[in-house]
Amino acid sequence: MTDILQILILGLALGGVIALMGSGLSLVFGVMRIVNLAHPSLIICGAYVSYWAFKLWGLDPIATLPIAALIMAAIGVLLYRLMFESQAKSARYSEMTVLLTFALAMIVEGFLGAAFTNTQRVTSPEYATDAFFIGSLFIPKGQLYAGCVSLAIIGALTLFLNYSRLGYAIRATTQNREAAELLGVNVNLISMIAFAIGIGLAGAAGSLVSFVFSFFPAKQWEWIAMLMSVVVLGGMGSVLGTVVAALLLSVIAAFVGAWVGATWSTMTFFLALFVILLIRPQGLFGEKPELA
Amino acid sequence: MAVDLQQADASSVLEARRIHNQKLARQHDQTRATWFPLVVLGVLLALPLLQLTGNYNYLLHLVLFTASYAVMASGWNIIGGFAGYISLGHAVFFAIGGYFSGVLLARYGISSLLTAPLAGLVAAICGYLVGLITLKVRGPSFIISSIALLMIARILFDHWGFIGGANGMSLPVTDLPVQTAKLPYYYAFVLMAAFTVWATYRIKHSKFGLGLRALSKDEVKAESAGINTRFYKVLAFALSAFFVGMSGAVWGEYLTYLRPNIFLIILVSANLVLMCILGGKGTIAGPVVGAILIVAFNEIFVATLGASEINILATGFVMVLGLMFFPNGVIGTLARKGKLPRVLNWD
Repeated sequence: MTDILQILILGLALGGVIALMGSGLSLVFGVMRIVNLAHPSLIICGAYVSYWAFKLWGLDPIATLPIAALIMAAIGVLLYRLMFESQAKSARYSEMTVLLTFALAMIVEGFLGAAFTNTQRVTSPEYATDAFFIGSLFIPKGQLYAGCVSLAIIGALTLFLNYSRLGYAIRATTQNREAAELLGVNVNLISMIAFAIGIGLAGAAGSLVSFVFSFFPAKQWEWIAMLMSVVVLGGMGSVLGTVVAALLLSVIAAFVGAWVGATWSTMTFFLALFVILLIRPQGLFGEKPELA
Repeated sequence: MAVDLQQADASSVLEARRIHNQKLARQHDQTRATWFPLVVLGVLLALPLLQLTGNYNYLLHLVLFTASYAVMASGWNIIGGFAGYISLGHAVFFAIGGYFSGVLLARYGISSLLTAPLAGLVAAICGYLVGLITLKVRGPSFIISSIALLMIARILFDHWGFIGGANGMSLPVTDLPVQTAKLPYYYAFVLMAAFTVWATYRIKHSKFGLGLRALSKDEVKAESAGINTRFYKVLAFALSAFFVGMSGAVWGEYLTYLRPNIFLIILVSANLVLMCILGGKGTIAGPVVGAILIVAFNEIFVATLGASEINILATGFVMVLGLMFFPNGVIGTLARKGKLPRVLNWD
């Protein structure tokens, strides 16, 4: 029984981080219909920001989270302006943007690999290797803090989307681009802001990832499939769905890892992706996808 | 020529259509420059004669490498270009082909050159089974599922002891003298490339190819026009896996070792997509032109900049620039402007 509880706690803590990693992806898809394959590589960018801040100046990764988020948001604005704004009128929009983000992922991976080499990195603040003990249960502090910070950020994001004027505009654009534009929403500007928020979330997730997982530039391919399975299960574009799916899948993965073997725990995500696409392509909270 | 529809039998309808089509086609399209690909093939077949005068192994390697990618890119073109399903998981079939023939070579000593078609067949069967599942979704979801396929295959190959796991397996090295060591593989790849180009031409101009192009435009309309879209696209997926697997088989023996981190990397898949897009998706000559361009780019980048990270970076940049400024590729862009030279009009 304690075993099961232990695995559940570890799964939930990791799930919180994965939820934050996926939420930016989901937001960008919702507003712009872009499947951002470069999202994990941008998370790794954010992780490097925190890594170097920790390594060079000894700054705590959680403290540098806002800096990583802001830097990545600025990069997001730049990317939107350079690459995606001109694609809006493209006839094969979804296909083109997927391939563009794929190429972007390669560029980022190549750049990071050339600049920082492909060695495994991890920031090691004191709490990353420490744990709380409750009876026979142990809760690793690093994962607990990361999970809590993630859920706090997602909570703030939900509040922002639901109760601010900008949030209304973003949700309106998600629901129906043309109608939103008719009602006076500057769809292009909103898209840019949403894209910047999405990439900023990637940066924030990167800071947390830097002490929860070890990372290197080529790690992104593993994360792409992992995050995609989370976002697809949650229903593309639904931030709430992403959180639920992330918690669900990472708990399942934790059980698979504990009972079957550590290699198969990542496999859970990939197989889940296949099964979801087969049974319910629109995910838990998504609308029925149009055939296009 | 007017045809009275009341009395027209099938042959006169076909005749009328032929004449109508002939009027539509521009004059220079009617006489195809078939001689050009044949001349290229002839030159490539005669190229190894250079070996008599010196050591041109690097040149042979380049042609062989380009031909191997031309085979795979043309194969990818069947599902990605004709049917419009972008797959980023074709490295899986490359690996399946390579490993199937590699295991036969290592255990029973049968040359991969003989088992390559069989390896292609095995890849095609795997492609058919995978396609039955993943081709249910289209657009971004399909692309994601193909990446997931690659990740699953990578984990399986990395942990399968029989084929050496992550360390891979080494294959016997050919005992031919240096001057002729590359020739079997050279001829195998050049002939395979010729066969693939011919096969994709036949596919594009068959009823099957027409059906694929119809479903790439609008799947629902194609279905209601009586096309069995499910069967068509799964078959297209299997066919494209066949060519990629065949190429993988010969490539494995040429390289003399098999390892998941050579065969099962996303860069292989990305190269196929990139070649088709740069050359012109859905055209016959496009993948070949793309393969030549990309191999040339890669060689230049590796020769001048070295590191593989720079190579990834450069591939990404070329892909972004190609997508943003030439979304129809070299052949497609030229054809739209009506400036495609006759020798490159292989469609």
